[in-house]
Amino acid sequence: MTNRMMSARLRKRGAVWIIHALLAIWLVISLLPPVMLIAASLNRTALFRSPMDLLTFRDFTLENFTQAFTRGDFWFFFTNSVIISASAVVITLVVCVPLAYGLTKISGRARAAVSFGVLAMRFIPYVVLALPLFLIFVNLGLSGSRTGLLLAHLSIHIPFATWMLVGFFDTVPQELEEAGIVDGCNPWHLFWHVSLPVVRSGVIALAILVFIISWNEYLFALFLAGNSAQPLTVGITRFLGGAEAGAEYGVIAAYAVLVIAPVILFALTANRYIVSGMTAGAVKG
Amino acid sequence: MVIVVGTPLVMGLRYSLHRVFLYDFNNQVFVGLENYWKAFADPLFVNALRITGLFTLGCVVLSVGFGILIAFLLNARQVKLRPMWMALFLIPFVMTPVVGGIAWRFFIWQQEFGVVNQISSYFGGGMPFWLLERDTALYATIITNSWHLIPLAVLVFYAALTTIPDELHEAGRVDGAGPFQALWYIVLPILRPHILFVSIIIITSAFREFDMIWALTGGGPGRSTTVLSIFAYNRGIANQDMGMANTIAFSMFLIMAVIAWLYITLYRRTLGDKA
Repeated sequence: MTNRMMSARLRKRGAVWIIHALLAIWLVISLLPPVMLIAASLNRTALFRSPMDLLTFRDFTLENFTQAFTRGDFWFFFTNSVIISASAVVITLVVCVPLAYGLTKISGRARAAVSFGVLAMRFIPYVVLALPLFLIFVNLGLSGSRTGLLLAHLSIHIPFATWMLVGFFDTVPQELEEAGIVDGCNPWHLFWHVSLPVVRSGVIALAILVFIISWNEYLFALFLAGNSAQPLTVGITRFLGGAEAGAEYGVIAAYAVLVIAPVILFALTANRYIVSGMTAGAVKG
Repeated sequence: MVIVVGTPLVMGLRYSLHRVFLYDFNNQVFVGLENYWKAFADPLFVNALRITGLFTLGCVVLSVGFGILIAFLLNARQVKLRPMWMALFLIPFVMTPVVGGIAWRFFIWQQEFGVVNQISSYFGGGMPFWLLERDTALYATIITNSWHLIPLAVLVFYAALTTIPDELHEAGRVDGAGPFQALWYIVLPILRPHILFVSIIIITSAFREFDMIWALTGGGPGRSTTVLSIFAYNRGIANQDMGMANTIAFSMFLIMAVIAWLYITLYRRTLGDKA
């Protein structure tokens, strides 16, 4: 082996190391905040402590979790979060899947206009909707209700979902539906048995994304939830006032871990759908 | 759909042209553009506008820069298990922003035990109160929010990079291009429309950001991280001045509409270049 070949091989191996080292550094930065939360939730701690103390589980305990469950109305906030997020997913799908399918059937200007409108809605800052909704709900008697909060969520989901689903339905090959027509399918059959199965994984991806967005939502909840419809995101921020003094710091961490648990689990188990859904949205640009 | 989004928008415009106070809700007086004149003459509004601009700009620069870099590394031939890396990289993006803000506040920026200051003091550096000082709070919120948004940029850039044919990289290697030349001369030109696209989604998201900043600083210290969303909240809910709050919000809508229009024009031109 000549010297030159060896040095080239060494250089290549060096490049592999550098690439992986850089990726690993980014991974540490990405995961440090959630990992520290988990570590703090599993340590007996009332005051801030050094990262190493927490990561070595010097004072391991599960007590923070029993506290988080029993104090701070966890189940009240949890119920609101689950009901709002689950209803948001169901209603968004029921409304947007047929709507998007219908949009792909009309053509020309009408469709371009609708797609433009849908795209434009995605640029609207949430506070622009939240403030008037607050006043409208006061008038309608919907303020502080889960129904009101759900309606606010739908105002973000419906444009987003329609936009994505039109992209998915566009990928259904024309020939497939034509074959269906030849076979004597009625429009309902074409939709349910021919087109929908093709976009199935897209619809799953969308359902997951809608759930995550609703679960994580905070601004609308702060404006519209009043005292009876607050989700977990509001529940956790109620602790913040007391946290400055370092009080109940392990309990807040445990509470926070419970809030992010569902979305993190989704990210780890269903990431294939999340990646494909988000990429599909991106490619459509 | 028109009803769901259109109603609040129209009502928002209407409220912004009235004097509306929460404590005297039934007494609404039409005042035309008075709220708008007042807002633009208000140094606090101008300050919020400036902070929002800086915050958005910072997030775009960091997200696009790191997004390209990480996607480029991830796309290297030698990297195995890419779906696994990607799944883990996505976590900051799906993690609830208020909780992300709390985690950074407690464990990263915290003055005595936060990771940043622990590292800094290990190397003999200072230990500032990152979130409690006017000079640093905005930078800390920009970095935290970029942490949340970078995965989105990585995802889009990575998807775009996988469409670059291997031959192109091969040709670059034959021509003796190192990794930096490859990044500069092969990858960046191909990513140009995607850079534009990522920029607009980051701008849209950062411009309206509320949750993350609220959890980190609540808009303080002073007003050094009071972006327009937080300013509108303070005016509308805390000060009960709904007319002014809707004016601030509707101004945000108008600014965003201009940005969106610019983007669509630019995007069409970029695509036109390619065709």
